[in-house]
Amino acid sequence: MTKALDVHGISRRGFVQMASGLTFVLGVGGVTAVRASALNDAPLEVSHWLSIRPDGVISIVFPATEMGQGSYSTLPQILAEELDANWDDVEIEQLNADDRRFGNPLFGGVLYTAGSTAVQAFFEPMRRAGAQARDVLLQVAARELGVAKEELRTEPSVVIAPDGSRMSYGELVALGADGVTVPDAERVNLKDKSEFRIIGKDLPRRDVFAKSTGMAEYAIDVDLPNMAYATVLRAPVEGERPVSINDAAARAVPGVLDVVSLPDGVAIVAESLWSALGARSELEVEWSEDAPARQFNSEDTLRQYAQAADDPDAEHAVWAEKGDARAAIAAADRTYGQMYLSDYAYHAQIEPMAAVASVDADGQGAEVWAGTQTQSWTTRTVMDVLGIPEENVRLNMMTMGGSFGRRTAFAQDYVRDALLSSKAVGRPVKVIWTREDDVKHGTFRPAAAQKLEAGLTADGKLDGWHHKVATPTVIGFFNPVRWASVRPNDVISMRGAESKFYGITDFRADHIITPRQARLAPYRGIGAAYTSFAAEAFMDELAEQAGRDPLDFRLDLVEDNPRGRHILEKVAEMSGWRNRGDRALGLSFAGYSSSMAAGVAEIEVDADSGDIAVKHFWAAVDAGLIVSPDNTMNQIEGGIVFGISMALREKIDIENGEVLQNNYWDYEIARANQIPQIEIYVADVDAPPVGIGEVGTPMVSAAIANAFHATTGRRLRHMPFTPDRVLGVMAS
Amino acid sequence: MTKFVLNGQPVEYANSPDEMLLLVIRDTADLKGTKYGCGAAMCGACTVHVDGQAMFSCQMSLGDVEGAEVTTIEGLSDDGSHPVQKAWVAEQVPQCGYCQSGQIMRAAALLSENPDPSREEIVDYMSANLCRCGTYNRIFKAVERAAKEV
Ligand code: FES
Ligand code: FES
Repeated sequence: MTKALDVHGISRRGFVQMASGLTFVLGVGGVTAVRASALNDAPLEVSHWLSIRPDGVISIVFPATEMGQGSYSTLPQILAEELDANWDDVEIEQLNADDRRFGNPLFGGVLYTAGSTAVQAFFEPMRRAGAQARDVLLQVAARELGVAKEELRTEPSVVIAPDGSRMSYGELVALGADGVTVPDAERVNLKDKSEFRIIGKDLPRRDVFAKSTGMAEYAIDVDLPNMAYATVLRAPVEGERPVSINDAAARAVPGVLDVVSLPDGVAIVAESLWSALGARSELEVEWSEDAPARQFNSEDTLRQYAQAADDPDAEHAVWAEKGDARAAIAAADRTYGQMYLSDYAYHAQIEPMAAVASVDADGQGAEVWAGTQTQSWTTRTVMDVLGIPEENVRLNMMTMGGSFGRRTAFAQDYVRDALLSSKAVGRPVKVIWTREDDVKHGTFRPAAAQKLEAGLTADGKLDGWHHKVATPTVIGFFNPVRWASVRPNDVISMRGAESKFYGITDFRADHIITPRQARLAPYRGIGAAYTSFAAEAFMDELAEQAGRDPLDFRLDLVEDNPRGRHILEKVAEMSGWRNRGDRALGLSFAGYSSSMAAGVAEIEVDADSGDIAVKHFWAAVDAGLIVSPDNTMNQIEGGIVFGISMALREKIDIENGEVLQNNYWDYEIARANQIPQIEIYVADVDAPPVGIGEVGTPMVSAAIANAFHATTGRRLRHMPFTPDRVLGVMAS
Repeated sequence: MTKFVLNGQPVEYANSPDEMLLLVIRDTADLKGTKYGCGAAMCGACTVHVDGQAMFSCQMSLGDVEGAEVTTIEGLSDDGSHPVQKAWVAEQVPQCGYCQSGQIMRAAALLSENPDPSREEIVDYMSANLCRCGTYNRIFKAVERAAKEV
């Protein structure tokens, strides 16, 4: 699927370094080198972002990684637009190294694909790189034709002269760069929105054909000559290690090559996965039973967090503040408060963790195939595990079978397993986690307890808002290095609690950083997956307390946010909110980062079973400029489905440090027969793109809880809304 | 030796007849389009056709298909031209894509049993397969589109 340009077996970068032919290279801010020689068959490398070959093929670097979100297609489209390229001429080159020239500006230059940031972060730099390259091509054509550059124009992949004659980009590249200057990236002309041919149009995704024919290659599919397979028996509790291993029976299983002791587990390496799995079940391992994590019990954890959220003296870090929330609430006509709870949740991406490693015979280098959300931290993992320098790491970033935050960690244990296993047997090794491994050794969305308090004026308006979130730091666990620099601000734990789409005069959100009692990771929507549940369920309760319609109550708060107002009114119109009668509708207004979403859920409650069925979901979204409209719909819809799934069923329980769930039969995710009809409106606005991968998720749970109140008069304040909880609430 | 027909070709494999069919397909026959997701009949990523029926290949052993005809996504068409695959591309169904071989194989089995399914029948039949990316509504539309072409 991913093509790295290859010229006679020499990689593009290698070829450029040989400089046989015309090559000119731009650095980040301008020209760093202009070289030319006699041969005209070399690519024109106008900037590190792209190269154009004389045969007309345009190769554009994809700096992120693909997990289903579609930026593998979208990011190169942004550059191709300003280059005025014919999209069919474009090849996409996956970035397979921790090359910080392509770093994500929103993560301090780390190669990190997360937080719905890819389009937002790369929109400007990739547009400008495309525009610079187009300008260079115009200069070559002007020189060649003896006309002023300004008299030329472009159509996809061709420059057109005033007399109508045409020169393709490929032809121009072959003519050499003599006399050409590269325009300053900051000052280069960009297209007006009305001139777009690619952005905002519906070009098919590049990966869809491969993904409809079984041809897309994921890490779990990588096959190398002489490759062995490994499976790992892991310590059942975090922090424990094997103290004695009886592997006699395991070693006797035909095909077993080796049994490798890992810091937190035992790997079986075999000629086939079948042998490895069979041998694993024969292993007898005694684990150290002294880890502090043995004390982790999710029910106790949530109880402790709730106590902390309720404790007025709990130590806290202020996450967001405006005016004086506490004073406003104290002085308000009426005050109201509620507690909301949410359990651990698991990513449940369908491709479990898998990686292939081939460690060099001298142990001083390795090639690795893995699907991760970060070239940077995967590179680091390989360096740290083998104690080797960065230049000896050869990475292949594979398309991922979903991730949703699963493959973001600073230290990647499945990559480590593959490296250590390969080193032990001196062969390439593929490590595959079974689904049970992936669940039991998952990294979870943290459990959280949230206390909200607010004041109301005599005429039913909001007068002070205080949102306290008792949950651990996620960053502190999955990326301690980042935590050292951002502490105590944890955007992963807290996002959404800033309620920034509302203009609330006296506002405060606090993070009560509770002790961590599970392995944690970002999860689709990060903090907003639960903070928006609490905030928007509470908003509905406040409206009720104030005797106001939930829509009107919110509209008061978006007077300074006309775009927010627009989508709230839009979703009300789509769902027939004003004339809803006794339909079970619930409204929610949330979003992700700077992308806003208003949603209405219509549900049915089965009073006997406690099952909630979502029958219809309407969403209105404002995510700034939309690069790929069709993919945007698919992503928002997927985000809504994810939100329904987590709101209704998803829950991880931990007892004595062990995860109780095993597989999809006890960690249920939404199936086809649980999916409502979904209608989505996306606002057409003149504003920079701000991301669509997660915006669909945070609004959903509160919309369902609020719809539940509309039909039963009861409140759901503990997510997920499992049948037992629903029945409990209805009986109360 | 277990003999069967795989994507139209007679094959024979010396693997243990107890070995999971999914692993034989992926690692011995080297057909990687069929995926592992759960090994527990819960996700359908491993769906193949055995004598025309959609089956979870993680729930079958090699010995179970002795003499049978097994079709994987690679055997559905050489070039993505099966109506279900064309509909998948037209509707731009896949996101991560990992579940989609299984979804397509299940959809193709549905349409060969029932060329004109109702929306309810489609939803019901497709509920055996999970899609964590949430492409279900597109799957339904793609099955309806393919039904018009079959
Ligand atoms: S892998 Fe067979 S049903 Fe999930
Ligand atoms: S497309 Fe990702 S699981 Fe279905």
